[in-house]
Amino acid sequence: MSRAAQTLIGAGVLGVGAVLGAGAIGISGEAGYSGVGPNFLPWLVAGFMVLCGAFLLWEASTGGFRQMDEPDGADRGHWPGFAWVSAGILANAALITTAGFILSCACCFMLAVHGFKSAEGKLDLSPRAWIVNAAVGIAIAAPVFWMFTQALAINLPGLTNTGWL
Amino acid sequence: MDIWNQLLQGFITAGTPINLLWALLGCTIGTAVGVLPGIGPATAVAMLLPITLKVDPTASMIFFAGIYYGAMYGGSTTSILLNTPGEAGSMVTAMEGNKMAKNGRAGAALATAAIGSFVAGTIATVLVTLFAPVVAAYAVLLGPPEYFMLMVLAFCTVSAVLGQSTLRGLTALFIGLAMGLVGIDQISGQARYTGGVPEMMDGLEVVLIAVGLFAVAEALYAVLYQGREVETQNRLTKVHMTAAEWRRSWPAWLRATFIGFPFGTIPAGGSEIPTFLSYATEKKLSKHPEEFGTTGAIEGVAGPEAANNAAITATLIPLLTLGIPTSNTTAILLGAFQNYGIQPGPQLFEKNAALVWALIASLYIGNVMLLVLNLPLVGLWVKLLKLPKPQLYAGILIFATVGVYGMRQSAFDLVLLYAIGLLGLAMRRFGFPTAPVVVGMILGPLAEAQMRNALSIGEGKWSVFLQRPMSASLIVVVLLVLVLPRVLAWRRRRQLADSGED
Repeated sequence: MSRAAQTLIGAGVLGVGAVLGAGAIGISGEAGYSGVGPNFLPWLVAGFMVLCGAFLLWEASTGGFRQMDEPDGADRGHWPGFAWVSAGILANAALITTAGFILSCACCFMLAVHGFKSAEGKLDLSPRAWIVNAAVGIAIAAPVFWMFTQALAINLPGLTNTGWL
Repeated sequence: MDIWNQLLQGFITAGTPINLLWALLGCTIGTAVGVLPGIGPATAVAMLLPITLKVDPTASMIFFAGIYYGAMYGGSTTSILLNTPGEAGSMVTAMEGNKMAKNGRAGAALATAAIGSFVAGTIATVLVTLFAPVVAAYAVLLGPPEYFMLMVLAFCTVSAVLGQSTLRGLTALFIGLAMGLVGIDQISGQARYTGGVPEMMDGLEVVLIAVGLFAVAEALYAVLYQGREVETQNRLTKVHMTAAEWRRSWPAWLRATFIGFPFGTIPAGGSEIPTFLSYATEKKLSKHPEEFGTTGAIEGVAGPEAANNAAITATLIPLLTLGIPTSNTTAILLGAFQNYGIQPGPQLFEKNAALVWALIASLYIGNVMLLVLNLPLVGLWVKLLKLPKPQLYAGILIFATVGVYGMRQSAFDLVLLYAIGLLGLAMRRFGFPTAPVVVGMILGPLAEAQMRNALSIGEGKWSVFLQRPMSASLIVVVLLVLVLPRVLAWRRRRQLADSGED
């Protein structure tokens, strides 16, 4: 595990602590009977986060995080696959209100399958693979959509207002 | 005989066709998520939390409970049959059961796991039936200082005692507590960390955090680091135990039940410790120690499986009687109760007696259902293991979307979901535990309210926590929990050093 990455994690925790502290300044300390107000826990959490971040930085700089098992899986990440899956999730966020749940999720499914296939070293970008993946995505998303909108009456966005598409 | 009357009432409620259907559905989904890699009971319950918007509380709690313990049954099938690289040492059942399966005894391992789970689950449910009302009656006497200290105890055990590194556990806990701070302060009504965004007033959605940390992070981790891993599967043999195997299994089941149960009831979280304890006990007592770790000893499957189930069932006691979750899944179950405006705690047994007893009754029914689902039908579940990974994880992402979007209808939440997924990915890669985040986020606001109420009682003086005997003894317990493991480790190191010098 790279030392630089661990340092980055420690610095991140430290930074979050600092941001929490900055946010805590704006919270009133109106204590009432209890002697501690709504700003007490924010300060406490911010303080401990800074402390944890500092300790993590110290561990990272003196031989790396303690009591670490080797993380499972490959040593190096397969970033193209990661990019496909990320694109899938973010496309879903971008499309869901306009394209409707079924199509948007099918798109996410399609991109994510490409990502995992590429991680396995079997990326197939032929038109047939696109169509098959999209069809499987629709076959999974559609029943889920119907179960929620029809059986449970929970609102999910559709392409139309029929509750079926 | 009041308990029996109430339990009978519970059976009447849980036994209506519609509730039986919910239980069956829960057990089925639970077994499926247990069998499937990449998704666990906490994720599944979180994804299905939107149903709390429409389904009545009794039905949905029966459903969620079914998922919770169904996953324990299903999980053993996977660990016995699948040779997942890198994970073999993480679960004790995987160790022995996997060895048995490799030697052509998969059927016996599956049988002892399922029947053991049934025996332990049922005995543990009887104990829950008997003890939960007693604990609840006693818990009524606890005031805010005691509650606060109990919650601190839960925080300490979840973050500092379990897991590898105290520092990373505490970091995770404080991340969770920070997430819990977002929204309206319960006591003063002041908005905190909302950034002026109205949606943030209600706080962060539990579904979002849980699904992001577990499902999305898991998918991202799998695509990044586990694409090239090839899993092999052991051959399924007839699910059957010989007379000798029965004789070796049942004492292990019973011993393990009584090892597992106490661990579930105390806020010490998780079932890792009791499963390991049970494994060690069986190894010590076995007449066939040579089989452990080599050809696979049936006691080594029977014990840990039963201990696991007993502990899991027992976690319902702190959840229902004190409102304190000690694991990921119970934390999310608490979230489900909160969605209904129900706060689990001692009053639950008075105010929502019908719900509680129907839930407990459903545990008895669910255990029978799961035995049937898992023994004769195991062949069906094994087929799930053949699902190709790309489609499985991509499908999980669809369900993640339903859970998160269904809760608040906000596309922005899906972007947040991805961000939480990235956080979970980093935590997993760098060995930060995730349970403290979820427990901290859900229990944090409750603990804060108890603390400030306690201080109000003490007129602003912190000495209130020391003046009350119960709260003072809890402080001692917290200190012991924090210090004792360190002292023991230090002594062990010194002994090792001493023996090295000789």
